[in-house]
Amino acid sequence: MVAPPDNAPPDNDVLWARSLHYAHGGAPALVDVSLGVRQGEIVALTGARGSGKTTLLRCLSGQLLPSEGEVWFNSVPVHTMGDLSRERLRRDRFGWLGPEPQLLPELKVWENAALPLLLTGASHRSAKHAACEWLDRLDIAAFARKRPAALSRAECQRVALARALVTVPSVIYADEPTAPLHRSDRALLLRTLTTAARSHEITVLLATDDEATAAVADRRLTLVDGRLAGTADASPLPDTPEGQAACSLSA
Amino acid sequence: MLALRLARGSRPVVQLRRLLVAAASAGTGFLLLYVLAGAVDRPAGSFPRLLWALVPLAATVHFAVAVARADPSTRPREGLDAAGLGPVRLTLTAAISTAVACTLGSAMALAVFLHLRGDLAGLPFDGTGARLLHAEQPLPLAAALILLALVPVTASAATVLALRPHRPLAPQTALPWGIALTACGLAVEAYAGRDGGGVLAGWALTAVGLALAGPGLAYACGSLVQAVRPGALRLLAGRSLQEQASRIGPPLGVLCSVAAGALTALALRDRGGLHVPLGPLAWPAAALVALCAAATLLTSAVEGRRSGAAGREAMLDLAAPARVLRAAAGLRATALVAVCVPLSWGVAQLTSLALTR
Repeated sequence: MVAPPDNAPPDNDVLWARSLHYAHGGAPALVDVSLGVRQGEIVALTGARGSGKTTLLRCLSGQLLPSEGEVWFNSVPVHTMGDLSRERLRRDRFGWLGPEPQLLPELKVWENAALPLLLTGASHRSAKHAACEWLDRLDIAAFARKRPAALSRAECQRVALARALVTVPSVIYADEPTAPLHRSDRALLLRTLTTAARSHEITVLLATDDEATAAVADRRLTLVDGRLAGTADASPLPDTPEGQAACSLSA
Repeated sequence: MLALRLARGSRPVVQLRRLLVAAASAGTGFLLLYVLAGAVDRPAGSFPRLLWALVPLAATVHFAVAVARADPSTRPREGLDAAGLGPVRLTLTAAISTAVACTLGSAMALAVFLHLRGDLAGLPFDGTGARLLHAEQPLPLAAALILLALVPVTASAATVLALRPHRPLAPQTALPWGIALTACGLAVEAYAGRDGGGVLAGWALTAVGLALAGPGLAYACGSLVQAVRPGALRLLAGRSLQEQASRIGPPLGVLCSVAAGALTALALRDRGGLHVPLGPLAWPAAALVALCAAATLLTSAVEGRRSGAAGREAMLDLAAPARVLRAAAGLRATALVAVCVPLSWGVAQLTSLALTR
């Protein structure tokens, strides 16, 4: 994607990044990555392990500051924000769903789901109400008063999804959310995620290395060794810009 | 050798904790040698002195076990497990490193003791040490070595017992036993009056009782903190206190009993005080016990902090403000202090009532 000539991002993009660079202790993880994501879009970030998907998600969500480049959310620069305002932005507008459910073992299931609301200072009653509503929609309301240890892994991951959705964020960053699940559980989790995103106009960035998972997205971006290899519609499969590069190399 | 290699590679904080174990072991060893020298010089009444010297021994062993539990190299690790070093062998490794630290302390105690008596080379401090440590009588070698081996052997055995793979009990289980033992201890002190042995037995019973009751108390504390529609702060503080109750409870109970003992001693000082037959080393021994109890509690808190690392990472992914996490830790500490200070004071009041009856 070519960056626009002026300094400000296009208005219709909820999330916009220009020439992001990031290095893990000298080893480049992201090299000159630019992208724009429209409101309500579901974008799959594909690529092999170690291609920089997680780093890109963390840069876009403000958990990491890129060493070079810009990240804009709703025409607000994220890369120049202070730590506290970035934290508040992540709490209020972003949701995060990782490969591990990362539930707190000492909290009950509904308390885990309600935690983001409680952290924003919502009242106990309203947080509980919202959390239980989402748990109900995700078919795990029966476990609401149990501890995470009593749940299966797929159920825990659904609780983590409820926790990401409970604040009804603008963007959900899903970092390989289906990696530890079986196929039936994967399909269920993805269906719930996409349904919730479509009905609430939530933008989803879905990092995955699984073809079937990437197929639910509207659009697909492929990372190869920290570079954005090319964009394509979700179906059919991308017309291999990597393949062309390989050909030109072998020629 | 493996234990030594693992020990050598660990971080400075861990090394410092092991060094503290060695120092505590040295203090206890010195005290035991002092009691032995006194017994050789004047056999009558030496048994109560030995019994009193067992209190610092117990505190040292408790501390050594806490350090071994908090030691990162005793935690089962995937790399070591893949190399064939599972939980059982790691327990043995932990026991060995505990034994090494304690033996180092014992050896130091022996060297300092002999030097102060003038048995090694020259006589430091104008011979004050020689008079204090009964240098005129030779020290029976076998007895000295057995006494010095007490700390390493008991500490290693206790480490093996504490680290063996086992299912943890619910924190509230031992609360009734703890309360019963504490009450028994107070009763024993009341009946024994100010006779040294009775006071010691009563105090030991109280200490064991409070150590047993500690997890239940900490759990109840956590329950109170998170009661009635908690927000994020009280929820996090209370629940993590409940979660860590079985880890932090026993050292908390021991610290409470030590504080109660100190308060009792202060209260009785004007009326002739407690008779602790350790002569001029009574105060250093008391300081050793108090420091060990405090260090044990701190070490257990550090261990708890490490076990909560995954939860903290999850909280950071949720963009939880660091302020909330710090405030939760502060609230936890405040709640524990709010329970322990009145508890120690109450036990001390009951004890001094019993002793001055």
